[in-house]
Amino acid sequence: MNRRAYLLGLATLALLGAPYARAQLPYVSEDRILFGQSAALSGPSADLGNGMRIGIQAAFREVNRRGGVHGRRLELKSVDDAYEPEQAIVNTRALIEDPEDPVFALIGAVGTPTSRSAAPVAAEAGVPYVAPFTGAELLRGTNWENVVNLRSSYYQETERIVNYLIYTLGITRIAVLHQEDSYGNAGLFGVRRALTNLSMPLFGTSSYTRNTTAVKTSVLDLQETGADAVVLVGAYKPVAATILWARRIGFNPVFMTISFSGGYALARELGREGKGVYVTQVVPFPTSGARIATKYRRALAAHSRSTKPGFVSFEGYLAGRLAIVGLERAGRDASRGAFLNSLLRSDPIDIDGFKLEFAPGDNQGSDAVFLTMIQADGSYRPLSMSNEAESE
Amino acid sequence: MNWFLDLILRTHLRTQLYLGLGFAVALTFIASLVALVSFQRVGEAQRVVNEGSVPNIAAAFLVAQDAQALAGAAPRMTVAQTEEILRDAVKEISERRVAFTVHVDALAGTEGENPATEGVRTRGRELLSNLDAIEDSAVERFVLAGRSQELRDTLRTVEADLTALLVTAIDDQLFYALTGHRDLQSPPAPREVHFTTAEVKKYRRIAELYDAAAIGTQVLANAFSFADRAQLEPLRERFEASTGQIERNLRALRNDPIVKPLVPMFDQLINLSVSAVGIFAIRESELDLETRQRSLLVNNRRIATDLIADVESLVSTAREGALKATTESLGTITTSSRVLIVLNIVSIAGAFLIAWGFVGKVLLRRLEKLSGWMHRMSKGDLESKVEIRGADEVAEMAAALEVFRRHALEVQRLNLVEKLADELKGKNDELESVLDDLRTAQGQIVMREKLAALGELTAGVAHEIKNPLNFVKNFSEVSEELIEELDEILPEEGGDFGDDQLDEVRDICQDLTENLKLIRQHGDRANRIVHDMLKMGRDAGDRYEVEVNLLVKEHANLAYHSARAADSNFQLDLIEDFGEDVGNLECIPQDLARVILNLVSNACYATDVKRKESSDGFAPTVRLETRRDEERIMIRVHDNGNGMPPEVQEKIFNPFFTTKPTNQGTGLGLSLSNDIVREHGGQLRVESKEGEYTIMSIDLPLQRVEVPVAAEMAS
Repeated sequence: MNRRAYLLGLATLALLGAPYARAQLPYVSEDRILFGQSAALSGPSADLGNGMRIGIQAAFREVNRRGGVHGRRLELKSVDDAYEPEQAIVNTRALIEDPEDPVFALIGAVGTPTSRSAAPVAAEAGVPYVAPFTGAELLRGTNWENVVNLRSSYYQETERIVNYLIYTLGITRIAVLHQEDSYGNAGLFGVRRALTNLSMPLFGTSSYTRNTTAVKTSVLDLQETGADAVVLVGAYKPVAATILWARRIGFNPVFMTISFSGGYALARELGREGKGVYVTQVVPFPTSGARIATKYRRALAAHSRSTKPGFVSFEGYLAGRLAIVGLERAGRDASRGAFLNSLLRSDPIDIDGFKLEFAPGDNQGSDAVFLTMIQADGSYRPLSMSNEAESE
Repeated sequence: MNWFLDLILRTHLRTQLYLGLGFAVALTFIASLVALVSFQRVGEAQRVVNEGSVPNIAAAFLVAQDAQALAGAAPRMTVAQTEEILRDAVKEISERRVAFTVHVDALAGTEGENPATEGVRTRGRELLSNLDAIEDSAVERFVLAGRSQELRDTLRTVEADLTALLVTAIDDQLFYALTGHRDLQSPPAPREVHFTTAEVKKYRRIAELYDAAAIGTQVLANAFSFADRAQLEPLRERFEASTGQIERNLRALRNDPIVKPLVPMFDQLINLSVSAVGIFAIRESELDLETRQRSLLVNNRRIATDLIADVESLVSTAREGALKATTESLGTITTSSRVLIVLNIVSIAGAFLIAWGFVGKVLLRRLEKLSGWMHRMSKGDLESKVEIRGADEVAEMAAALEVFRRHALEVQRLNLVEKLADELKGKNDELESVLDDLRTAQGQIVMREKLAALGELTAGVAHEIKNPLNFVKNFSEVSEELIEELDEILPEEGGDFGDDQLDEVRDICQDLTENLKLIRQHGDRANRIVHDMLKMGRDAGDRYEVEVNLLVKEHANLAYHSARAADSNFQLDLIEDFGEDVGNLECIPQDLARVILNLVSNACYATDVKRKESSDGFAPTVRLETRRDEERIMIRVHDNGNGMPPEVQEKIFNPFFTTKPTNQGTGLGLSLSNDIVREHGGQLRVESKEGEYTIMSIDLPLQRVEVPVAAEMAS
């Protein structure tokens, strides 16, 4: 199509669209766009859900103070699924099918088992599923029309961990403690894959039951393997319990964990015992001087003065900003499909220096993995700006 | 037909009309009577159908329809997914039920109470009570489903709680048995305290509790998915086994703090199973209910089928009655319609006869005839006689009209004669006085024309006279010179003539003689011209023979010279084409000369006008032609002047018509010329083409013809 025909087509669409625009889409009201979040607001992963919620709200509040997107305020409706897949399905359905107030899109879900259950429900209804707080491969790839991933995958995080252990720390006896579910298996598989690529064996594995902190016998198992490093793939509470008990019984390998378990909640649970625990992050350091971090802190402070900056709420903030970019690009009166297209099939996105790039078959925006370490005082210390810098 | 017509015409119009109308009314009355009788018979037959069979069939049909609908709608209650759908179904069915009851009562009412209707009634009651049972069961199903869902939810919570507690407890116990650690804060217990048989047994108890709890919850979960009631018993058996294990292990652990939170959870689990409103009981009720619903539905269908069969037998009885009644009424309708058709034909024929035969043929035609006569009379035609056959009012009117006509005719004739006589007299007087005036005027006019023509000729005449006079003068002068010569020749005093002198004298004398002869001739000519002119001025002329060519030539010359004298620029090529054998003609020469003068003058005028209008290259030409054949002499004056349009050609012989400017013509020239030619028994004709030419032809018979009227008018 030449440029002229293209413009003509646009004009025709605009004409056709004009009367249609007044006939509101059922999920868009005149002055408001509602997003829905089903996440763990209670239970062992409550801090994740709440962190995401606060971050998204901070981003929404920030844009709403400037008049919203195309004249519409953004709102978030969060419901608790307690990290239970069944409840996530019920919640998602309720958010989409609410006869009074259906959501435009879902955002900021927390966890792999929950997301893998809820995303198909959203897909069936044609509802966008934006920035779930999970790095599972299950939600990545060509199978999804409606899923927009913000963060790097667990494979990328575990690969980063394995590379760091082997190349930087020179440790080869690596074991995995994982949650006995799709999330834990994703982490386990990621480690195993990274090791296989380097033609190395996995030194041992152990697991625990989801939504429990029954990790102690697993700690004993890991101790028996004599591993020098343990990669922990779980929720922050069992991960913290694992580290605490390991230290208690004198088992002191290098502990490394991935973003899902390693927010400030983990550091808090660990207290002084957290010192030296490596955590991979998928967002920049929240207290750094980066433009996006500054923006985030300002938005967070404006939204909730008592909340300290953290990785999870930073990711929530980025999720909110991503949704805003999509809405802005799709234009006023955009449908859900147009919103998705504006994110997944368009130019690279730059959110104040945080870069995302989607492509057909690639519904994951960022490939950034940041390595951090917990300090004795419970704070985090960035070890590198990004995985690319490290792998050289 | 004629005798009939005569018979009718002999009666009065009133009688005719009354007779016709009476005939039509009588026919209509008869037709109505026939129709009335037929309708009564058909009505009777139809009443049998209406009061007997139709209501029966209709009511029966409705009952069957309702029964069918009720039987069909019942399953909707049992399969309703939500209570709202159930409510709708129940509502619709209850409306149907009301209709059904009404229709059954109606059926019984029309049919009367008999065993057949009683049967239908009984079955109807059965159907309704069965429907009640189905409805109750459907409602119950929802109650059970609600309870079932509650139990499921509880089971899931209990399972999650038990799992979390027991998995952690197992983990704690094993870790303690192996390491002596209870919690992070306290120091570990010594090995002889934690690594004991009792602690290992405790671990086993908790693990068994976990297993039993897992099996128990799984068994209960299975209970929801089994559709066979019989299979619930083995499940119960297995759950009881689990319960036994649970109770045994709980008893064994009764003093342990871990039991405290577990006991209420297990109580809840067991209660989920054994309670009267527990999972097994509810599932049994649900499955029983399903079975009951199935049998109720089967029953429902059976009752409906029986009911419809009963109703059908009722219907077939009613249908037979209806068929019979319908056959009867059809017979009546056929008979009546035939009679009515015959009556209709007769009635239409009668009406046609009245309309065509009487009103059209007799009355209207006769009235039209009468009116025709009146019209003619009003236009003045009083001659034709008014005559209409018959003795009715029309004939009377015709007779009266005839009388009127005769009177009118007489009056008209009298008036006409008187009036005509008066008019004639007046006209006569008028005409006489006009004629007098006309005669006087005509005389004056003719004289004026003659004088005018004379005036016109003066110049020509002067020229014609001047011409011979010049000759006379010239020859006289030559003669004087000859005489002087002669005198010189003559000797002074008595001398002798020489021979030469003598010859000279003789020659001179001869010349003198010739000169004198010519002088006389020219004198004669001048004399003749004057003579002719004088003759032209005189009133009547005598007839005598003249040479036509000479007459034409001299008067053409006169006209030509007159024209030249009037205008020095005048040019004309006058061509003479005279037949040699034309010879003499007996005529009135001065009149004919006037005609020639007039025609040639006109020709000169026409060519001169054209010459003045056209540019160079136009040669005005007038050709004079004379011819003779056995009966007549023809004179033609041909000019190449402007010619005339046809409308002018038509008028040129009218008196006072002229195309010349005012004061240049009297408009009488051609009129008089025409009169003169006709006076000679001849014809003056014009032939012209506008812009090209004009030919004026005079035909004169050789034999004299008397034309008295023209002669009178011309004089």
